[in-house]
Amino acid sequence: MHIMEGFLPWQWCLLWWFIALPCLALGVYQLKKVLSLDREALPLLGVVGGFVFILSSLKIPSPVTMSCSHPTGTGLPAIAFGPWITAVIGAIVLLFQALFLAHGGLSTLGANTVSMGIAGPLVGWGVYRALRDTRVNLYATVFLAAAFADLFTYVVTSLQLALAYPVGGFWTAFAVFMGIFAVTQVPLAILESVILMLVFRYIVQLRPGILIRLKVFPGSKITAARGDA
Amino acid sequence: MLRRYRFEILAIITILAFCVLFVYTSSMSGNAEFAGSDDIGSSQISRMTGVPEENFHPLIWQWVPPSGEIESALFALQAAVGGIFVGWFFGYWKGLKGRE
Repeated sequence: MHIMEGFLPWQWCLLWWFIALPCLALGVYQLKKVLSLDREALPLLGVVGGFVFILSSLKIPSPVTMSCSHPTGTGLPAIAFGPWITAVIGAIVLLFQALFLAHGGLSTLGANTVSMGIAGPLVGWGVYRALRDTRVNLYATVFLAAAFADLFTYVVTSLQLALAYPVGGFWTAFAVFMGIFAVTQVPLAILESVILMLVFRYIVQLRPGILIRLKVFPGSKITAARGDA
Repeated sequence: MLRRYRFEILAIITILAFCVLFVYTSSMSGNAEFAGSDDIGSSQISRMTGVPEENFHPLIWQWVPPSGEIESALFALQAAVGGIFVGWFFGYWKGLKGRE
C-alpha cells in the first residue's frame, strides 16, 4: 500500500503529513501514559507490535489479481491500545521501510502513515467498539476488526491516489486504484485475520488480566472465552 | 481435542485453502508476474498522467537497496525483529504462568 517516493505531488504530501502528525503526537502521549500506568502493558505492546513488523514484511501473492501485497497486522494493536498508539507503531515500521527498503519514502510517509497507521486501524477499532459490548463472539469481533483494519488501509491508499490523480474524474480513478490495491487485499485480509484471531486466543489464555485491566473486553467475555478452552 | 484446537485447525485450513487457490489460479494464467501492488500502482499513475515513470523524481533523496537480494535481507531483518519481540514476550508470559 506504499505510495512510492516521488509519486505524490508535494501539496498532497504536506496535507497528509499535517493530518498524521497530531495523531502521532496523541499516540506518543497515550503510549507514555499506558506504559507508566501498567507494567504489563509493555509485553502486550511487544506482542501486538511485533506482529505488525512480521506481517507487513511479508509480500504475499494474491490469487485474485496475480500481484503481491502485504498484510498490515494493525488490527490487534488497534483493539488492545486504540488507533493512536497503533499509528505510532505503523509509523515506525513505515519509517524503516522508507529508509532501508525504498518502499514508500520520507515525503510520502505522512500519506502512508495515514492509510496504514491511522485510517485502517481507526475503522478496525470502530468495528471492534461497535461489537465489544454486544453478544457477538469475542473472536469474531477480533476477526472482523483485523479484516477491516487491513482492507480499509488499501481503500485509503486508493483514495489518496485518486485525489492526487483524478484522471477521468475522481470516481473513475478511485475505481482503478481500488482494483489494484483493495481487490488484491481481500484474500490477504482474511488470511491475516484468522492468524491474528489465533494470536489473540493465546493472549487470552496466557495473560487475561492485562486485557481486563485495559478494558479491551468486558471481564465476563474474557472469562467465558477462557472457560471455553 | 478437536474443539480445543479449533482455532489452530481453522488457521491451517485457511492457509492450505489459500495455497491451493494460489497454485490453481497461477497455473491457469501462465504469464502472471506477481509484481508488487505498489509498483503496479506507480505504473498506473504513469499511464494515467502520461508521464513516464522515470520522470517521477523523489522529492526527498532516498537510498535504494542496490539489489533484490539486499532488499530481501532487510525485509527478513524486519520480520526477525518482530519475531524476537513476539517470542520474547510470549515466553515471558509462559514463564510467569508456569511459576504461578
